[in-house]
Amino acid sequence: MDTMKKTDTQNPELTDISDLNLQLQMLKTALTQAQEANRAKSTFLSNMSHDIRTPMNAIAGMTAIALSHIDEKARVQDCLQKIQTASSHLMSLVNDVLDISRIDSDRMSLNEETFSLADLVHDITVIVRPQAVQKEHDLKIEIGQIYQEVLIGDPLRLRQILVNIIGNAIKYTPDNGEILVRLFQHRADDTADSRNQNRIFLDFTCEDNGIGMSSEFLERIFVPFERVKNAAVNKIEGTGLGMSIVKSLIDRMDGQIKVESTEGVGSSFQIRLPLSFTSQDGKNLERLTGKAVLIAESQEQQAARLIAFLQEADMIPLHVKSGLGAVTCLTQANSEHHMPCALLLGQELEDMSPLELAAHIRQSAGPDFPILLVSDVDWAQLEYRATRVGVSAFVPCPLFKSRLLSTLSDLTDTDSSHQDFSVRASTDYSGCHVLLVEDNELNQEIALEMLSLNGVDAEVADNGAHALEKFEASPEYYFDLIFMDVQMPVMNGYEATRRLRKLSRKDAEKVWVVAMTANAFVEDIRAAKDAGMNEHLSKPVSMEQLQDVLYRQLKKREKD
Amino acid sequence: MQPYQEEYIANLKEIAKLSASEKSGSRSFCVPYEEVLSDKKHLEQIVARNMELLREKLFPLLDHLFEAEPEALQELEDFAGILFDGRKERDVGLFCQIRRALLSKARQAGNRNDMIRQLYWLGMGYNSICTRLVGLDWLYIEKYMVRMRLCFMEAAAYLKYFEEIEDSDTKGYIIRSRANVALGQFKSSGEKIRLVNYTLRILQDEGYREKAPELPWDRYLYMTHQQMAASISRNKEKAMSPQDIVDIMESVYIVYEKQFEEARSQGENPPAKSSFSYDSINYYCGLDTLDGLLEKMELLIDTAHADDFSGDGIYRMVSLPAFYCNFLQDHPEKIPARTEYIDRLYERALDYAEHFPQASENEQLFFHVRQLMSTFVETDSSIPYGDFVEKLLMRFLPEDYIHSYIVGKAAAELCRIIMEEESGFFDDIESIRQIENPDKKLDAVLEYATNGSLLHDIGKISFTSLYAQSARQWFEEEYEMAHLHTLVGERNLALRPSTRKYAPIALGHHSWYDGSHGYPDSYVRLECPSRQMVDVIGLADWLDNVTDANHLYTGVQLTFEEAFKTAVSLEGKRFSPLLTARLRDNRVVRRLVRIYREERREAYHSVFLSHSP
Repeated sequence: MDTMKKTDTQNPELTDISDLNLQLQMLKTALTQAQEANRAKSTFLSNMSHDIRTPMNAIAGMTAIALSHIDEKARVQDCLQKIQTASSHLMSLVNDVLDISRIDSDRMSLNEETFSLADLVHDITVIVRPQAVQKEHDLKIEIGQIYQEVLIGDPLRLRQILVNIIGNAIKYTPDNGEILVRLFQHRADDTADSRNQNRIFLDFTCEDNGIGMSSEFLERIFVPFERVKNAAVNKIEGTGLGMSIVKSLIDRMDGQIKVESTEGVGSSFQIRLPLSFTSQDGKNLERLTGKAVLIAESQEQQAARLIAFLQEADMIPLHVKSGLGAVTCLTQANSEHHMPCALLLGQELEDMSPLELAAHIRQSAGPDFPILLVSDVDWAQLEYRATRVGVSAFVPCPLFKSRLLSTLSDLTDTDSSHQDFSVRASTDYSGCHVLLVEDNELNQEIALEMLSLNGVDAEVADNGAHALEKFEASPEYYFDLIFMDVQMPVMNGYEATRRLRKLSRKDAEKVWVVAMTANAFVEDIRAAKDAGMNEHLSKPVSMEQLQDVLYRQLKKREKD
Repeated sequence: MQPYQEEYIANLKEIAKLSASEKSGSRSFCVPYEEVLSDKKHLEQIVARNMELLREKLFPLLDHLFEAEPEALQELEDFAGILFDGRKERDVGLFCQIRRALLSKARQAGNRNDMIRQLYWLGMGYNSICTRLVGLDWLYIEKYMVRMRLCFMEAAAYLKYFEEIEDSDTKGYIIRSRANVALGQFKSSGEKIRLVNYTLRILQDEGYREKAPELPWDRYLYMTHQQMAASISRNKEKAMSPQDIVDIMESVYIVYEKQFEEARSQGENPPAKSSFSYDSINYYCGLDTLDGLLEKMELLIDTAHADDFSGDGIYRMVSLPAFYCNFLQDHPEKIPARTEYIDRLYERALDYAEHFPQASENEQLFFHVRQLMSTFVETDSSIPYGDFVEKLLMRFLPEDYIHSYIVGKAAAELCRIIMEEESGFFDDIESIRQIENPDKKLDAVLEYATNGSLLHDIGKISFTSLYAQSARQWFEEEYEMAHLHTLVGERNLALRPSTRKYAPIALGHHSWYDGSHGYPDSYVRLECPSRQMVDVIGLADWLDNVTDANHLYTGVQLTFEEAFKTAVSLEGKRFSPLLTARLRDNRVVRRLVRIYREERREAYHSVFLSHSP
């Protein structure tokens, strides 16, 4: 350009022609840009209209079917579920479009906040695992060397990147496929660079044995709206915006992405992102030093990982692969008064399901023995059953050392055994008011002890009439929970509950009443319900039953 | 024992006598209906009295168990010992309830000997429950098997302190618990064999023997070899490793030699069980062919006597045919040459069960009958599976057979009413949709409803002690176990071509229309093409259950008016609105009530006549 300008100043005529040429060139460029923009818009509109129409068709169709079967609740429910799925797809489509539009207009900014890598991986797992299960994929998420778990960055966008990559692997791999995700960190090579002192690289790889991509497509993979074109893909929902968004986000994070793929064989994505870190949460883990923990896990790799984490914390891991082995070990340890400080129940045992073992150990080892479940199953699905059988806490997989040790530390705080159980299931029951109605002194003592182990300070009534008096004398909504014996002198539990429910105060109908009785026939359970009691516990009441009720009712109260 | 405990036991014996199937002879329907009604009334009175005894006497004791006097605890222990002594079952459900409470007490007191004893007996109670679960997938039985095994294993863990334990009984419980860890079914056969092997090593260890010379070690050892030898009949050849076979072979030879010697000294043949173990291990290790083994089994079966009701007799007449058919299921190419023989096996087994004295008290017989049901091989000429299980239902659960019969009548009536208004109502079922002629279509629907109803509860045969002999209302865990009858029924019906179409009815008849309650979870209404028929039979079944059939055990009893009102109130939740809409019509209700009220007697008589000699 500079040369041309020089020439132009030397010859005015040429300057005019040059100007014209220049203008012509600019016009041509503008035209090309306008045409490209127009084509992009057309592509965009064409893709969007197709992609929006697909879920919209489902929504309209399912609505019509539901309307024509309005009397068949089950059929309507089925239609509504399908409408829900289509709507959520539509929502993600709109979100993608908004994201790409923000990126295009340079309005996308990244947050800088402290986040836990363990939480991030857990969130991602919760999102992608059900999708993988649906397609019966074998999805493995392996965590390699992790130096820093508390990082600084934009966890929301990071999650978006990783979910997108794994989500694609799930979508573009035929059913029963294999997907391997690896996450690890490496330190910067150049330690002399001051920027690297607080910087770590997060490496993420995702490999699948899916349909793969051609080399031609690989060149355009990050172009908006580009999708693999073949019969298998046509049925898969997607906008073709995801990878474009991923690339833009990684670029903005100063990261790198590398893709390798062979058609019909599979794909591999490798991402490297530089992230800052902050010093680890200084939770006091010293109390764990020298303590023994029993690990019951038959999966070799998982067991090795648990053992390594415990050893790194100077703990003593004992390992068994079967439920029968665990029972033998704990029975003998109990007999010799050197119980391990906790049981880590893994994902699999050679001979039984871990929860069956937990139920037995809770009975044999007593109420205050910590049982931790280490599993990759979604806790929400497992929570009710696990807490019912006596699991004290849950450590999600993929496994992070910080999570494991901090949960162990919480549960093995021997300085205050009473606190142990208020930590149980992450619930603090202080401030809750529980009324125990029981005529028998020894039973009262046992129940009060069990309640106090859970951090519950209960009030006592000796019979139904006394309980009614106490309830009437209390402010409305004072009592959160009433444990009611059935057979009592003066007034039995059924009668007391019936009368309580009829009281003219706002909480009379709502307060949760639990029958505690040895009468265990199905008819007795029904009689308790008919009298207005909410549920039934068989005597002698076990710790896990009690914990289950406390957890459900008092936690619910917290939410309310 | 306390007087109430003695009365409860006496009532249990009375109930066993009252069992309709045991009346004056061997036929299930050989008693006049009036007598059955009178017995039923008497049974209801006994059950009511038993409930009173438990509520007023036993439950208060369990309520205050932690402060019970030693004498009361001993009486409770004795009472439990009569409810179930390891062999004779009188009330295993109550037995387990008491043992669990006693175990809690022992744990609370930190009494090691007591804990070991209670763990052993609780394990035995659970084992008895486990024997009812033949033919179910591991998924459904795991919790029962594991619960039993964990009790035995915890008791067995005290083997480490064998030397310091002074009480001989406790030492015996530890050793027996160790052996019993291998009872029941396992995820893999290798696991069972490994556990039995470990027990054998302990029993042969002189170190342990010296610490308790008073224990019958040789008997324990022999019984454990028997346990190992018996495991051959339950294991599939492909599931066993060569080492497993070698391990079993040693035990089989030991048991066979001893029994052979004993039999020879008495001039008899060795028991069929050990002969079969001997023959089959020879087959498994390649010393014999499958045809050779099957021939040897035929010999053992053919030498059985129809009037031999001993353990060996049951084994030859019922159990061996079950194993025989199990081999054929694994090798279907062997079936065509043996169809006549198979047919004869089933005829003989049915006849044997029909004439078995006091069958309802014989859990061993039930155990083998369940095996026979789950390994049934259906051929073109054999008795159809549906007829076979129907006969077993008549024999062992006659009340339930009558219930199924009535449900069939009511379901067919409801179908007739529906078809009058909507002839295409059942067209989701492909075989019905294909029929164009309206009369033929109606016939097919009615036939489906009647036969489906007759077979909807056949899974209950696995839980005869719950349904036929329960002396009280069920406990919650028994109620839960009774739910399994849907899965057992579905599995058995689905495996045979002639009954496959009725399998969804067995599976889904206790499900709720909206899926919010009911069981089992594996029934998904919208995925079942026969769902409209399942809904109809489910409703007809529920109406009979709440008005007549099941109230003794579930405690629910409604009048017809209440039942129909309740059904309508559960519209769209438990029952299909398409069906409850019909129940709003008084004429429909009258037609159904007439069936429930009047046809029971009719049903009984017709069955009685068809079974009269």
